[in-house]
Amino acid sequence: MLDLVGQPLTWTHTLIFAAYGVLLLLIILGFVTYAIYFERKVIGWMQGRYGPNRTGPFGLLQTVADVFKLLIKEDTIPRKADRPLFILAPVITFIPSFVVVATIPFTANLIHADLNVGLLYYVALSGISTIGMILGGWASNNKYALLGGMRSAAQMISYEVPLVISVIGVIMMTGTLNLHKIVEAQGDNFWNWNFLPQIVGFIVFMIAGVSELNRTPFDLPEAESELVAGYHVEYSGFRFAFFMLAEYVYVFAIASLTTVLFLGGWHAPFALLAFIPGIVWFLLKFSIIVFFFFWIRATMPRIRIDQLMGLGWKVLLPLALLNIFITAIYMGITA
Amino acid sequence: MKGLLQGLGVTLKTMTQKKVTYAYPDVPLTMPDRFRGIQHFEPDKCIVCNMCVKVCPTECISLTGKANPDPEKKGKVIETYDINFEICILCDLCTEVCPTEAVVMTNHFELSTYSRDDLFKDMKWLTDNNTLVRKENNYAFPRGGAKKDV
Repeated sequence: MLDLVGQPLTWTHTLIFAAYGVLLLLIILGFVTYAIYFERKVIGWMQGRYGPNRTGPFGLLQTVADVFKLLIKEDTIPRKADRPLFILAPVITFIPSFVVVATIPFTANLIHADLNVGLLYYVALSGISTIGMILGGWASNNKYALLGGMRSAAQMISYEVPLVISVIGVIMMTGTLNLHKIVEAQGDNFWNWNFLPQIVGFIVFMIAGVSELNRTPFDLPEAESELVAGYHVEYSGFRFAFFMLAEYVYVFAIASLTTVLFLGGWHAPFALLAFIPGIVWFLLKFSIIVFFFFWIRATMPRIRIDQLMGLGWKVLLPLALLNIFITAIYMGITA
Repeated sequence: MKGLLQGLGVTLKTMTQKKVTYAYPDVPLTMPDRFRGIQHFEPDKCIVCNMCVKVCPTECISLTGKANPDPEKKGKVIETYDINFEICILCDLCTEVCPTEAVVMTNHFELSTYSRDDLFKDMKWLTDNNTLVRKENNYAFPRGGAKKDV
């Protein structure tokens, strides 16, 4: 893949790239389908229930049925809505979520785009989704949608700051923004991975990551009981499906990014287990993080907006800054 | 902070514990014996006193009687007895007031249908609804002519 990118662009290459993109999209759709299924299952189990088990064997077709229902639904656009923006908003939300996946190295060879500013690319593009959300909220011409969009913007921007600053420690230790090189710099044993020296950064990154995903306990933009549904109140059918899809693709992206930055990517936890293919280890770590998100959601209540802002600016940001200084001092001493 | 970890522990523990849900549509629910369900009616016990019609708060019961066909006996016998389950609230008043326990509660509760016409139950239907009849009836007011088998 990487050597193809290096060659001049021909029609054949364009076709290969397009096919690759479609394949990746299908993989991600499959992930989203079963992430939703497992989310409902896990939350069910944690609440003493079974979760979906009626549609298909073990309820495996539940999400398929739900998505199919969304796709055949009538596409309604409110009469007083800003029509072009209303149509554009789900697109703006979804596309960055999918595009950021391109830069994530799944194994040593399975890389789609080996950017030397991979991390910056991820952070910059994921910020664009916020615009889609606030645009959707505003274009709906609905006060609940607007409130949800505003909250979403406030929250995403506030937590983007600690999220980015928390990974600077990793960047300093590795000396690169290239995600592939960051993984390679982490060793074959789990005590060489970044999450131990960067434990503060790791915790801040996880908390800010959950918040970036708009998931419980930071799901204020979509607080059902407070805002009807958030910025997508007026959306139905496949436009709503795109907002949902974007949300779950970000789960995929953030879980992958955490694996890459802090949990050693495709490396085995012990050097002697390295004979097992890297993709297995990647998927394993990735699944644990996704499970952690579900677990958090099943456990935590939603926090208040002032607590949310307080946590972001007064706790996470100073901690992340402190982490940078400590890392810098440590590197200065040992260098 | 400690509370958060405790909460995570609780949810993780619950995950492997026994589920608390009922497999309801697959396995019928057994209701406790004093459940107020769809009435069972026994025409032979009825003395057409009209008490249930009078006491019904939603006026969902209607009945007609006729003179006893046996000329040697006095009183009336029941001819039609209908309960409209569109408006019946299963309040138990008709069975409380009935002096002969002719109308009693059962443990059945499944009333959903595709047509509202199906909710109008006549005497035959109510008589045939003779399973899961509540064993204890009006135990708080045992006076009256009813023979108790409790």
